[in-house]
Amino acid sequence: MKSTQYSEATLDHFRNPRNVGTLDGDDVALGRVGNPTCGDLMDIYIRVKDDTIDDIRFQTFGCGSAVATSSMVTELVKGMPLDEALEVTRADVADALGGLPPIKMHCSNLAADALHEAIENWRSGITPEEIESHGIGAPACMAIEESATASIEHYMGKGVFKSVGDLESLRDQRVLVVDTGEVSAELAISLTEVSGRVVFVTRGKTLPYSTDVVERVARSDVKVLYECELVDVGGEGVVERVRIHDLDEDDEYDLFVDAVIVAE
Amino acid sequence: MTAPASVYLDHQSAKPTDPRVVEAMLPYFGERFGNPASLHAVGDAATAALGEARLRLASALGAASAKEIVFTSGATEAANLGISGYCMRNRRQGTHVIISEVEHISILNIAKYLGKNGFEVSRVPPDQFGRISPEKVRARLKEDTLLVSVGWASNEIGTVQRLGDIAEALAESNAVLHTDAVAVQSQLPIDLESCGAHLVSLSSNDFYGPPGVGALYVRSGVKVGPVMLGGGQEDGLRSGTENLPGIVGMSLAAEIAARETPADGARMSELRDRLVEGVLASIPDAHLNGHPTERLPGNAHFRFDGVEGESLLLSLKDKGISAATGSACSSKTLEPSRTLISCGLLHEEAHGSLEFTFGRWSQASDVDRVLEVLPAIVGRLRELSPIYRPKGPRDEVNT
Repeated sequence: MKSTQYSEATLDHFRNPRNVGTLDGDDVALGRVGNPTCGDLMDIYIRVKDDTIDDIRFQTFGCGSAVATSSMVTELVKGMPLDEALEVTRADVADALGGLPPIKMHCSNLAADALHEAIENWRSGITPEEIESHGIGAPACMAIEESATASIEHYMGKGVFKSVGDLESLRDQRVLVVDTGEVSAELAISLTEVSGRVVFVTRGKTLPYSTDVVERVARSDVKVLYECELVDVGGEGVVERVRIHDLDEDDEYDLFVDAVIVAE
Repeated sequence: MTAPASVYLDHQSAKPTDPRVVEAMLPYFGERFGNPASLHAVGDAATAALGEARLRLASALGAASAKEIVFTSGATEAANLGISGYCMRNRRQGTHVIISEVEHISILNIAKYLGKNGFEVSRVPPDQFGRISPEKVRARLKEDTLLVSVGWASNEIGTVQRLGDIAEALAESNAVLHTDAVAVQSQLPIDLESCGAHLVSLSSNDFYGPPGVGALYVRSGVKVGPVMLGGGQEDGLRSGTENLPGIVGMSLAAEIAARETPADGARMSELRDRLVEGVLASIPDAHLNGHPTERLPGNAHFRFDGVEGESLLLSLKDKGISAATGSACSSKTLEPSRTLISCGLLHEEAHGSLEFTFGRWSQASDVDRVLEVLPAIVGRLRELSPIYRPKGPRDEVNT
């Protein structure tokens, strides 16, 4: 079965998703599951009245079944008491859609999990704002794991640099800038003048710098990897790739780059 | 409401067989049905047809001799014969193999197989545009490097390699160069003798020939061992009775391609440029993947921030448009495209990719149709998306 052989109900919910959007207010909780890295991220907002789901909205980044399952779960539980909604399983959602392609059953069927997460967050008093921005003001510290220091030394001058004298020397290079403070964020912004590919790796959930710098980073083409650290640098004689540790997901992956800047 | 005419912009996946080719093949299903191995007159006619087809393919592609062409069941089999067949046959001279990170999945998997069978495999990363630098290949060469494989162009992002420069980097070594030429077929002229590669994998369908046929070019003097054993057809390199209708079709398709590719290419580049300009102008936070100029005439490969590729494909399908994506959600392994990752993209970016590939019969109206519907499709999916944050303009409005 092809991964996109969807039932008519799934296609209908993909084409005409129900209850799209967000909710605001003191009586609202948010459940967020997935990770854009894996291709799926779901937000489910519930408004709770008398221990019942009074209103529900979702936003989803993902494939056809990710969108359809989110839409379906909102229909299934609207008006349902919270305890009952906690009993709704992934299988219930898939069944309501007339089944999902087997390969999608696990990866793109997270809607029930997001719903449960929202209910649990409601009960623990965790607000949507806390989820959106938890960890604000995380201390700026070198986004480098100790294990990486040897490889950084090894490639020093061969793609790893402590400073950039001439931006032109990095024209069209893929550059990873390690968060070593506000200056490094400024450097990342200026590198976008010569390179289409600037990645900024920081341990924080946000950048704890002046509003001006944070806004300029947001407007720029700098790609920020939040809550990540540099674990290793590799390549044949020169820097060709780095290994990134995603602290939130506790996941590691390779990123192909030509240069690494660890500004002093 | 009438259904919109269908728009097919996925020629890298499959091409229609040219009607001229179909017609030339038909007799070989009927009165000329023979087996080239048979000793009677019917067999002799088949032997003659096979010889003519081989000669025709060799001259259409600029091979020095018809003996350099081995017919196979497709480009995947050709690559198995070219890479595995060469490495197994010559393993006493070395066990090191170099491949590029932007190879087609079939080549990556052949290399994986070699890795499990006593070979050491090094992989060369591309630059951000998908180009393989000869210096990076040279840096990996060892005394016992047996073979280097670099695709002539990427079937995904359309970047064309400077194959001659890579061949030059190997000149002093003992390594041979294999190239998968499928992506450049019917897109750019092919001249096997001067291309620099020793082994070239080709598919019939990518010349607008019938599917299920392919060929491996083996430069004179290069020794390959068979991977398919049996009755010793194709000089012992590819056993199994020849697919004569397919081979006749492939050779004619290659001849037509040699003649018509320059004009086809010019027309496709115009369509591609219009699509690229139109998409980048009408959709914010859209990016072109691959090289801006060193790319196949028929390839336009985009990514859109905050949108997932399978969702794009499904939405386009509803509008009667066929395209492709490198998103994991549409693959068997749930891994995003290795090509996109090795160009330096993050997984979430690779998930948002969308590929359009033009062909011989693509028209301006195909581009118009895409430009008519794509901005709204991307817009709708972004409205659904919790991760899409527009750049610049929104912030400027706020301040």
